[in-house]
Amino acid sequence: MNQWLDERLHISRLNDKFLRKAFPVHHSFFLGEITLFSLIILIITGIVLALSYEPSNSLIVNSFDPGTADKPNLIPAAYHSALKMNAMPFGDMMRRVHHWTANIMVAAAVIHMMRIYFTGAFKKPREINWWIGMLLLIFAALTAVTGYILPYDNYAYNTVKVVYGIAASVPWVGSWLAQAAFAGNFPGDGIIPRIYGYHIMLLPGILLALTAAHMLLMIKQKHTQPQYAKRIAYKKIVGVPLLTQQTPIMLMLTLLFAGIIMLFSAFIPVHPVEFFGPPSTTPIENIKPDWYLLWVFGALAIIPSFEFHILGGIIGSEFVGAILLPTVVIGAMFAVPMLDRSKDNNYYAENPTNHPVRLAIGTSFMALLIIMSVAGYKPDLISANVLTTANANTVLWILMFVVPAATYFATIGIVRGIRALREADERESLSHSAAADD
Amino acid sequence: MTRYRKQDPEITRRRFINAAMGTTATVGIVSLVGVLGTANPVFRLTRDKMPPVEGDILVHASASKEGEIIKVSELSEQLIRAWPMGKDKEGNNLIRKGDPNNVLALYRFPKGQIIAPTNLEATIDGEIVAYSDICTHAGCSVSDDDQTEGQMKCPCHSGQYDPKRGCKVVGGPPPRPLAQLPIKQDGDKLVVAGFFLENPYPFTESEWEARKEAVKAQLA
Repeated sequence: MNQWLDERLHISRLNDKFLRKAFPVHHSFFLGEITLFSLIILIITGIVLALSYEPSNSLIVNSFDPGTADKPNLIPAAYHSALKMNAMPFGDMMRRVHHWTANIMVAAAVIHMMRIYFTGAFKKPREINWWIGMLLLIFAALTAVTGYILPYDNYAYNTVKVVYGIAASVPWVGSWLAQAAFAGNFPGDGIIPRIYGYHIMLLPGILLALTAAHMLLMIKQKHTQPQYAKRIAYKKIVGVPLLTQQTPIMLMLTLLFAGIIMLFSAFIPVHPVEFFGPPSTTPIENIKPDWYLLWVFGALAIIPSFEFHILGGIIGSEFVGAILLPTVVIGAMFAVPMLDRSKDNNYYAENPTNHPVRLAIGTSFMALLIIMSVAGYKPDLISANVLTTANANTVLWILMFVVPAATYFATIGIVRGIRALREADERESLSHSAAADD
Repeated sequence: MTRYRKQDPEITRRRFINAAMGTTATVGIVSLVGVLGTANPVFRLTRDKMPPVEGDILVHASASKEGEIIKVSELSEQLIRAWPMGKDKEGNNLIRKGDPNNVLALYRFPKGQIIAPTNLEATIDGEIVAYSDICTHAGCSVSDDDQTEGQMKCPCHSGQYDPKRGCKVVGGPPPRPLAQLPIKQDGDKLVVAGFFLENPYPFTESEWEARKEAVKAQLA
């Protein structure tokens, strides 16, 4: 059969070109794979969920609690279908697996990017793949946000309200933009069909296309080689081939990963739609976005109130906090490969401690995002009496500058300390060996 | 010598391909703009989507008591959410909740506590005051502040308002105070006495003026 296929499809050429791709042997190279497996699990569970989901926000009678004939209990069809899904065998489990995998996918992608950044793998010739990776991160976040609007419970309703408000805050074109994106004034009759289209067709399509481009470029350019490869065979590709050595490792990782997600989903519930109830005018106390958007939320919580009118457009705190600031942060991440001016291609993963400034900028950037996320807990910090209403903003603003700066200098200090110790060690062993020679 | 001399083609293959790609991109973008035009449905101002209009009666908005008329005796320093209830074309009662931004916040404070910049003429005896309950920042419903008595807090991004002082912003990102709604008393009922005094969320000043004109024209 192999020969039959080979005569028609030239499997052997495919084998030489792609299936023999060498994978470096180091556990940090699994992070990208975990992101990829998450995407696959998300698509499979997403298809299963879509089979039972009703993408409509028209009001229908709640079959679980119909009310009375003259005062029927009307809820949006999308919310009703989420309730029905929870009532199906393993329906709630399927929703949890989908939700948990989404969170883990973003987490794996973020740690994967940290690996790339700290080891200098974004350097020439891999700049394009860094940018594609950034786009993947952005579109993954957008897909996640549209995803948690779909159950259309009160939580989702408040979320989409804020997202609509953010879109509408763009000066000059805001209200047109928000209406075009969300099918009219909030909440239009078509808002759920619109978001459903984004979440199951448009955004996954973009994610898959970008993932394919990401993979193809990675195969073309090869992985950066770990340091040991330099010692074993300089400027040669060292690693295990995809077929057959890497494949069982991947399968094992997939199964282990799927098992962990199942375990999480079985014991840790996510987003209880019954608890939040259908959309209502009652706001939800302490509503928060998922962890990867918490930093934007935190920025909005501590930004002061202001509004400028320029040429008929309005620039308010919402636009600055929710659009301008993330654009600057994401823009800085996009610019990372451009800050490196090396002319030569980078073959080997670098030791982060050999590049203390890059390392320190990375850690202080992370510290900044963490402090901004902590600012998202401002109301909770106030109600726990850690901060007061009067001083919360001041304290959080000061922390936002002090903590990243402290992290920067601490990182550089630690790296220098390590290096000084290492050099002292080397000198000592040199002097001993010199003494032994005499 | 051949009769036909080989000539360079008038355009090179590369130029042809580039021009073709450019044309395709232009046509694509133009048609995308066309599609985006249809993505934005036309807004029709129906009576259930109108902002509170003079003569509307205020009814409860909480799920358990929705549609019950609010009595003056029920009001307190705790926020009560209300919908304006008007009439449809046949004269039947119609709650104007087609636009969720119509939800209102009602308070009753002891006499003398409500001060400027609140418009005292638009309150009932300087005691009962009504505001839009939609935060001017991102459009969430605003609640009572559980930390400071008699203040309001938006759960979405910690916007804080003081309902005794015209709902001016006392903390957080909201750009403007909540719009005050003039009300009057009719027996035990609360009745809307006119349009919001300022532009409520999500209107800009000019959009709000246009909306008021459209409502007046339709009701006339």
